[in-house]
Formats: sequence, structure tokens, C-alpha cells
Amino acid sequence: MVRQGKGQDAWIVGGHRFLSRLLMGTGKFQDAETMAGAILASGAQIVTVALRRVGRIPEDDDMLGPLQRMTGITLMPNTSGARNASEAIRAARLGRELTGSPFVKVEIHPNPHHLLPDPIETFEAARALAAEGFVVMPYMPADPVLAKRLEDVGCASLMPLGSPIGSGCGLSTAGMLRLILRDARIPVIVDAGLRSPSEAAAALEMGCDAVLVNSAVAAACDPIAMASAFAQAVEAGRNANRAGLMPRGGGTALGTSPLTAFLSVEGS
Amino acid sequence: MELIVNGEAYEAKQPESVAALLEEMGIGGRPVVVVLNDEVIPASSRSTCGLREGDSVELFRLVGGG
Repeated sequence: MVRQGKGQDAWIVGGHRFLSRLLMGTGKFQDAETMAGAILASGAQIVTVALRRVGRIPEDDDMLGPLQRMTGITLMPNTSGARNASEAIRAARLGRELTGSPFVKVEIHPNPHHLLPDPIETFEAARALAAEGFVVMPYMPADPVLAKRLEDVGCASLMPLGSPIGSGCGLSTAGMLRLILRDARIPVIVDAGLRSPSEAAAALEMGCDAVLVNSAVAAACDPIAMASAFAQAVEAGRNANRAGLMPRGGGTALGTSPLTAFLSVEGS
Repeated sequence: MELIVNGEAYEAKQPESVAALLEEMGIGGRPVVVVLNDEVIPASSRSTCGLREGDSVELFRLVGGG
């Protein structure tokens, strides 16, 4: 029996131990209640938040209020909005001040049309923040060479994109993800682009350690039910990976039941 | 007192301290981080940290994000 209890399947990132392999974003939810319900349903233990300037007139919304009252959640501020490494480093420090969390999702995407991460600025920011003691989780292009470089400068995990943020195009980088997985010695988390739970399951099946979703849940008709569906898919994908998939056939069918001579006597 | 708050000119009526400024802006009780002239001011120092003409104050808070 390969399947083991949940407690035996923890994963460790930056010296911190987690059971849930589903990370959740908190953007795009229609209200705080739905967001908190979705996070609860997802079972996520790492939750991303963003940083914004407070206007002169305070906004009434308190999106993160319920979240900060939940227990067992590690907040991971992102550096969204940063256009280069120095802005990201500054955002990371402010995020740590606000959350008290050493985790940071380095996210530098200067082009609003595709929101693809800038590999050079991401690398520079990750290197500096890792040296400062942050648990650095970089949102990155699915590039195996960059992945190794980010690992070498002390990142706690790699977070390659499945496809562009919010696109819902799924695991369009699957081939590159497999190359990253082959060599990575730190957790690999698919971040961005997922639309359906089956894609999350596929990421875990191929060997990714976790996935991070936001739009797929927040923009679903029923975000709380979708969060639950993602949690189940992630667990199924992980269990399938541990169980080991059967070898892929070469296009030839191999029957599972006797196909001929069904009326002949067995052993005759 | 003329300050620069979040990059824009702001006429502070209660410039005695950072804490007083936050009260004036109606965000005294909100979880925000204060950056004064590019330096983070710890929450514990807000009531003792004074302001000077032309100071740059930036205020940040957490919001939803992916």
C-alpha cells in the first residue's frame, strides 16, 4: 500500500513544514467572506497577499481582516507592482514589517500585457533577499537554467508559471516544468495560469510539490466549492505521483481482460 | 505643515508626530507601515517620531493579491 496518511506527507520549504500542497492567493474575490471561506475550504497553509499604498481617505474595505484572524496560515507578501529588483526588495521589507512573515513571493513583471516575470530583475532581487534571510519564493519563467541559478543563490522554492497570470491556459509549460523538476533540489510550485482542478492534479502527478492558485478560485462561479475541488485534485495528484503511474504504451492496446476464446475451458 | 504623503503635497494640521498624522488621516487604528524619508518607522516609535516641513511620508497596507 503506497498511500500514506496526510501527516506523513509533509513538505518543507525554507525550514518550515507544511501539509497542504495548495497555496492560495487573495486577489479578485468579491468580498472578504468569500475569500476567507475559500481559503478555509482549500486547506491552504500559505496564503499570498499584496502591498498597496494607503490613500488619504481610508478605504472601508477590510479584505484581509478575516484572514488575519484565521489560525495556521502563513502569510506570504508578494512584490507585485515592483518593476525592478530594487523596488521588489523594498516591497519585501515592507511586507515583512506588516506581516511579520519571513516569506516573500518575488514577483517582478514590468509588462502589463503579459505579466511575464523579468528573469534578470527576479534573479537580482531573489539573491539579495535570500542573503537578508528571507524565505524567497520567486515567481519565474519556466526556465530550467534560471531555476538552477535561483536555487544556487538560496531561494527556498521555485515558482515557475504554468501559463500567464490569470490566463487560465493551464500547464502550457509542461515540458519545461519536467526539466526543472529533474534537477531541482528545492520545492517546485506551479504558480499562475491554472484554470481547472485537473490541471493542478496534473502538476502534482508530474512531480511538482505544490501549486498556487488565485484566479481559478476567485473567478469561479462558486469560489468556495472550487477551492474544495482544487484541494481534492491536489491530493489526488500527489497520491498518484507517489503511487507511480503505469508506463505509457506505445499506441498499442494491451487488454486487461481475456479477449479471445472466452468459451474455452481454462487450463485446457 | 506641508508634507509629501504618498508622493503628493499634503497640508498636515496635526504634525506633532507620525501617530498624530495617522489619526488626522483617519487611519490611526489601521495596520499600516509608515515610511518616513525612506526609513521604516516601527509602530512603537510613531508617537515619539516628529515630522519636519517637506518630510516624505509613505503609508502601506496589505491588500488581496495572488
